[in-house]
Amino acid sequence: MDQQANTLGDPLDRLMAAARGGNSAAYRRFLAEAAQRIRARLSRKMGADSELEDLVQESLIAIHEKRHTLDPGRPVAPWMFAIANYKLIDHWRKRGRNIVDLDTDADMAIGSESFAATDIEALLEKLPEAQAAAIRMTHIEGLTNREAGERTGVGVSAMKLRVHRGMLRLKDIADEDRLND
Amino acid sequence: MTDTELLLDRLSAEGPEPSASPFWRFAAPLLGVFALCTLGIAATLDGAFDPVERYGVMPLTAKWGFAFALVFLSASALWVLGRPARPSASVTIGMAIPFIFVAAFLALEFLQTGPVVRGATWRTCLLAMAVMSPIGFAGAIFAARWLAPTNLRRTGLSAGLFGGGVAMIAYSPYCPELGMGYMTVFYCLPILAMAALGWLLGPRLLRW
Repeated sequence: MDQQANTLGDPLDRLMAAARGGNSAAYRRFLAEAAQRIRARLSRKMGADSELEDLVQESLIAIHEKRHTLDPGRPVAPWMFAIANYKLIDHWRKRGRNIVDLDTDADMAIGSESFAATDIEALLEKLPEAQAAAIRMTHIEGLTNREAGERTGVGVSAMKLRVHRGMLRLKDIADEDRLND
Repeated sequence: MTDTELLLDRLSAEGPEPSASPFWRFAAPLLGVFALCTLGIAATLDGAFDPVERYGVMPLTAKWGFAFALVFLSASALWVLGRPARPSASVTIGMAIPFIFVAAFLALEFLQTGPVVRGATWRTCLLAMAVMSPIGFAGAIFAARWLAPTNLRRTGLSAGLFGGGVAMIAYSPYCPELGMGYMTVFYCLPILAMAALGWLLGPRLLRW
């Protein structure tokens, strides 16, 4: 019932249903709406990345090419975001870097493969709030340790320590998740 | 007009409906490797169904029951895993069901007579499994790539189980061996090895 309600309420679902009913203008509007939502979602995960728009386009192409994998009547948004997330992970893999940039002395010891294929937001939720906030500020928002420390009222060393401990914990969680997959 | 807007125009011009039936595009390679393995074994070996005349239908029923169930369950898992955001844990776990039955029958055999592992034709059996499993696996990978799997290891594992199951279906009518111990060692273990290979190779072979 909830699923049906969501399906009726989401413009993406209505547009896709109309498109599959033969309305080609609805398909154009569906893709435009999808682009907007994917851009918003990916920008939250990537930050101000210069390749954001490339990734949005890659996701749109994948959604179009794999549109036969969306079952009629199923909500579009989870399917769409699953594809976009897959493309994001693939993007990070191609660039040979982490979902989190390891650019400080404190966390350089963690291997680059540690967070491949992992949803960083889901991982951060498993950390103590102080460590998660430290990593968000320094690795996602791009603040320096000093700027992050000033924002939260702690010293640079304390901020470095929070980031370092958080990164080590993230690596452990990612390894555990991988073993459980 | 931005690049993204041009892209939207191009994609929308192709229309919302895919050109071919999704199910048959998925099923065709699976059926193709099934036919290839069956015909390949038939062209190589003589005496299909001779063991049935000698020992009755039960040994073949056990082997085919296991293998057909495995092929059906793994193909179903591939179908579900290839559709993003569909829950896939139950279909993945479901592929263990045929192995649970084998384990139960093996335990029964162990209690009654001790495990019957030896068989004169084990070399032919292993060779058939080693040659045919990768063919079935290749077909499953090809089918899965047309879908959109996002869990590549799990999908690779399913493809490996499918490949092994197809090989077993193709070779079983020629197999005169009777023991569940034999079936475990010379069928189940090669199938699990193929599944492990699929698990390892999935991220490389299934990327899209």
